[in-house]
Amino acid sequence: MALLEVEDLRVAFGGSTAVDGVDFQVDEGQVVGLVGESGCGKSVTSLAIMGLLPRQSKVTARKRHRGGVTVSGRARFEGKDLLTLPRNEMRKRRGQELAMVFQDPLSSLNPVVRIGVQITEVLERHRGLRGEAARKEAAHLLDRVGIPDPTRRLTEYPHQLSGGMRQRVLIAIAVACAPRLLIADEPTTALDVTIQAQILELLKDLVDSEGTALLMITHDLGVVAGLCDEVNVLYSGRVVESAPARDLFARPTHPYTVGLLKSIPRLDLPIHEPLHPIRGSIVDVIRWKDGCAFAPRCDSVTEKCVEGEPALVGTEHAHRCVMAEEIA
Amino acid sequence: MSAETSTPTSTALLEVEDLEVHFPIRSGVIFERTIGAVRAVDGVSLSIGAGQTYGLVGESGCGKTTLGRAVLRLEEPTGGSVHLGDTDVTALRSENLRRFRSRMQMVFQDPLGSLNPRHNVEMLLAEPLRVHRINDRAEQRRLAEETLDAVGLPTSVLERYPHEFSGGQRQRLGIARALMLRPDLIVCDEPVSALDVSIQAQVMNLLDELQGEFGLTYMVIAHDLAVVRHLSDRVGVMYLGKIVEEADSEEIYENPRHPYTKALLSAVPQPDPEVEASRERIILKGDLPSPANPPSGCRFRTRCPWAQDICAEETPVWREVAEGHKVACHFDRFD
Repeated sequence: MALLEVEDLRVAFGGSTAVDGVDFQVDEGQVVGLVGESGCGKSVTSLAIMGLLPRQSKVTARKRHRGGVTVSGRARFEGKDLLTLPRNEMRKRRGQELAMVFQDPLSSLNPVVRIGVQITEVLERHRGLRGEAARKEAAHLLDRVGIPDPTRRLTEYPHQLSGGMRQRVLIAIAVACAPRLLIADEPTTALDVTIQAQILELLKDLVDSEGTALLMITHDLGVVAGLCDEVNVLYSGRVVESAPARDLFARPTHPYTVGLLKSIPRLDLPIHEPLHPIRGSIVDVIRWKDGCAFAPRCDSVTEKCVEGEPALVGTEHAHRCVMAEEIA
Repeated sequence: MSAETSTPTSTALLEVEDLEVHFPIRSGVIFERTIGAVRAVDGVSLSIGAGQTYGLVGESGCGKTTLGRAVLRLEEPTGGSVHLGDTDVTALRSENLRRFRSRMQMVFQDPLGSLNPRHNVEMLLAEPLRVHRINDRAEQRRLAEETLDAVGLPTSVLERYPHEFSGGQRQRLGIARALMLRPDLIVCDEPVSALDVSIQAQVMNLLDELQGEFGLTYMVIAHDLAVVRHLSDRVGVMYLGKIVEEADSEEIYENPRHPYTKALLSAVPQPDPEVEASRERIILKGDLPSPANPPSGCRFRTRCPWAQDICAEETPVWREVAEGHKVACHFDRFD
């Protein structure tokens, strides 16, 4: 059984759909990527799994406008559906079995609370450590994520740390309880390349040594190629291609994946290799139930593409394109 | 963006010499004193040939944006000189400077933040013309339509407002605005970093086309090495206020000499698992030191994996190691 199984996950904010039936799974100790551009629903997917979207009470379910968020589908973690778990049960799992690292480390840390307190908070709540024991463990965690002079850093405030250090602190908090699954939402996007390399190395190391499963949410195909075992490419709220990383990069099948790969300048290709952008933008979209949402931007579009919902075909290397055979 | 070599010759359009921008650090409430300076740009020389693209790379805080702004006198240089053609930009005063600005424009990173949300496209595009006393409405309209066409937007957008556009379209507007006065030099500060991957390529191709069409000279400032490599003829790598290596684009990516350039290049993840598995990484320790108090000798020595005693004692000379390839490092080999 997979550690996390997401099935037909849908999230709508009022009338607009952000996630439109996402399926994927994460196995024990695996690194799985969710890739896509802004607005594809990758972050909302992770928030839904973590139970961080406003919960729907019975009242708001009837009055749809209040709160306005509707979540449906299943996200089974070790067999239990996280979406229907009672609040206190979810709170116990969050931080202990499931943890998350966000993109912007400065806004995820409390600016007026010392680093040490923000780490020991987690240790007290989930591991029952107090006082000196908690402080020692916090220093050990900072050391583990590569922060020099950890005991001094515990007494500092977030603004006294650099961006890379702050992200290390967040990772330290996330792994404080040795979670089974770590969700990282664009953890290196706000960082410089040399610092990004340090953080990716750290994540890789944690996954290898602790056997933590990692769900990596990113727009950067380079990061995916270096880190992930399995990749899911999202477009307009749905997975359009899903495959083992090596397979995806060697044989991209969905025109969107192909387009993305052709549009990025690469250091390992000849210098004046022309770029082939995807035309249009994410606003040129049709609804999945009427056909392929990527059709308006696709170069291989035919009439078949707008005749009803395209299904995700294949098992090992799955894609959602009715023209895939013809294009290949 | 042409493949031919671009060693700067006498046809240089932009000539920057020993440029310095120091921001004073002040202390005290009543008797304010200057107690030091942030050396954002600390003695940079470079030249860009007419019709060429110079790429400036470096991490946040290295001074690349300040350098770009100082070239346009949006930031006051505290030393050195900037020549555009035969004009000494650093010596221009008030009205002369204002008039001269029509020859040098800037494209900003955040297209939404740099466009007035309460102006429609027609007003936005006419503004630079009004500033430079081109007040004829018909002429303004003609130029606006011509420029929109050049950046690939329909003339029907003239009545629309910035919020009605997508990120890529807004960046096209930002570029159109910079083009309105038909400048010689455009400084592009992170022109694509705020855009989605599939849109970045559209904007890069556009910059490429416009350069041919309007004979533009670009200074492209970016942290993304692949973007800079794709756009530039010549590349300068900046670290803590100084350029540490400079060469033609192809040469610097093939043969990086400075340890910092090597580390930067090795840190960029490539979208190919096979390449990734075999890529040799140089992981730098720590963070950028404070530009208010840069390390002695070579500024990179605190993070350099090959640092020796000499690196702390002597500032490395800016020397030419191959034709058109300059580097500021004491060593030639790193084993």
